Amino acid sequence: MISSRRKAEEENIFGSNGASPKNGSSEMISVRNLHKKFGDLHVLKDINNGVKQGEVVVVIGPSGSGKSTLLRCLNQLEEATSGEIYINGVPVTDPKTDLNKVRQKIGMVFQQFNLFPHKTALENVTLAPTEVLGLPKTQAEQIAYDLLEKVGLSDKAHSYPSQLSGGQQQRVAIARALAMRPDIMLFDEPTSALDPEMIQEVLEVMKNLAREGMTMVVVTHEMGFAREVCDRVIFMDEGIVVEEGRPEEIFTQPRHDRTKLFLSKVIH
Amino acid sequence: MDLIIAALPSLLKGAVVTLEITSISVLIGTLLGTLTGIAKVSKKRLVNGAASTYIEIIRGTPLLLQIYFFYFGLGYLQVDLGKYGAAIIALAVNCGAYTAEIVRAGIQAIPRGQMEAARSLGMTYSQSMRKVILPQAFKQIIPPMVNEYTAILKDSSLVSVIALSELTRTGQVWVTRTFRPFEIFGAVGAIYLVMTFILSRLAGRLERRLKTE
Repeated sequence: MISSRRKAEEENIFGSNGASPKNGSSEMISVRNLHKKFGDLHVLKDINNGVKQGEVVVVIGPSGSGKSTLLRCLNQLEEATSGEIYINGVPVTDPKTDLNKVRQKIGMVFQQFNLFPHKTALENVTLAPTEVLGLPKTQAEQIAYDLLEKVGLSDKAHSYPSQLSGGQQQRVAIARALAMRPDIMLFDEPTSALDPEMIQEVLEVMKNLAREGMTMVVVTHEMGFAREVCDRVIFMDEGIVVEEGRPEEIFTQPRHDRTKLFLSKVIH
Repeated sequence: MDLIIAALPSLLKGAVVTLEITSISVLIGTLLGTLTGIAKVSKKRLVNGAASTYIEIIRGTPLLLQIYFFYFGLGYLQVDLGKYGAAIIALAVNCGAYTAEIVRAGIQAIPRGQMEAARSLGMTYSQSMRKVILPQAFKQIIPPMVNEYTAILKDSSLVSVIALSELTRTGQVWVTRTFRPFEIFGAVGAIYLVMTFILSRLAGRLERRLKTE
């Protein structure tokens, strides 16, 4: 274990491709030779990548390209078949690692929101801080009120998820993830289940997070969001990273035919 | 009619005993069933296997036999539970196996994303179960649970075979004393009907209340 961690640190020194300079700090997420198979289906094929602190990375690609699986491997909701993933230097692919500890520092936002329907918006946000961190209720609620205000929903604190619109639910879900004071936020197609008129309100919250310096990995089809706030775009297809680079490069001069084909379909 | 009026006090006493053993065994059975149901969705093979074995054995054998086993079978091994003890344990163990399946189905009906969301926040499996999955599952399984309780109430008549003076047994005693099975068993049936009717009305009301929430 020690040797493998050391190996990763050495690799970090050499860094990844130069596409992502944001005050040059070390890699927060580091993925080495990652493979994921579902039975015979080879979903991720030898992924090597890294995300620096404060970096905002958008992962795009056709459905079935493995982008959601990659994201879910980062917090090990999906177990890697082989390869290594380090979060802040901690090898999450190592069975000895306490995943609960690591996950506290990685917020995740899901396509289907996955709010707890039997709890109010406020309770959704306070649950993990009280249960996991053992915060007193009043303190957790203070944090929750602040976060709900941040996502523009302080008036909905006592509403149940079923009483909220999709966009509002997703903003509560973001607040819920932020309540654990994560170092990294993962977004798995956060706007794909939303009605068009609600997409902007969620993207706005995400943009603010990005500007505040949150390290973010976002799987999305929102190219506008990618263009506006992200540092790097990763294009995936059939389980591999086809190409990556700054958004203006990828969107205006994609090098690979597969990228061109995909972009021609999603950008109108 | 005079006969029924004469028999009624002791029949009602029997009904009280029926309610007693039913409610105690249902209480123990629900606890047992909840634990077994949780074990049934566990990925640990030993835990899961133990739960499955228990459920299979109980559901695959007649309740009457289970009552014989806990009273005469264990009695033969010098484990004397007494009539009440044997009856309650037999019914509780039986109820546990059936509620375990209800609890398992209830847990599995909760979308996978709920567990994932809880785990992604750093909650442990058991925290996620207790705070996120079970509260939602229980709400959904109240109606089938009450059905199971109704079944146990009726099946408790089987413990009359170990001469425990619950409702059915009391009826039998009156029949042998008076040779009037039609009236006596008719009255016994009516008392069971009243009890199950009240239970099912209660279930219906609960169901409606949960729906409107």
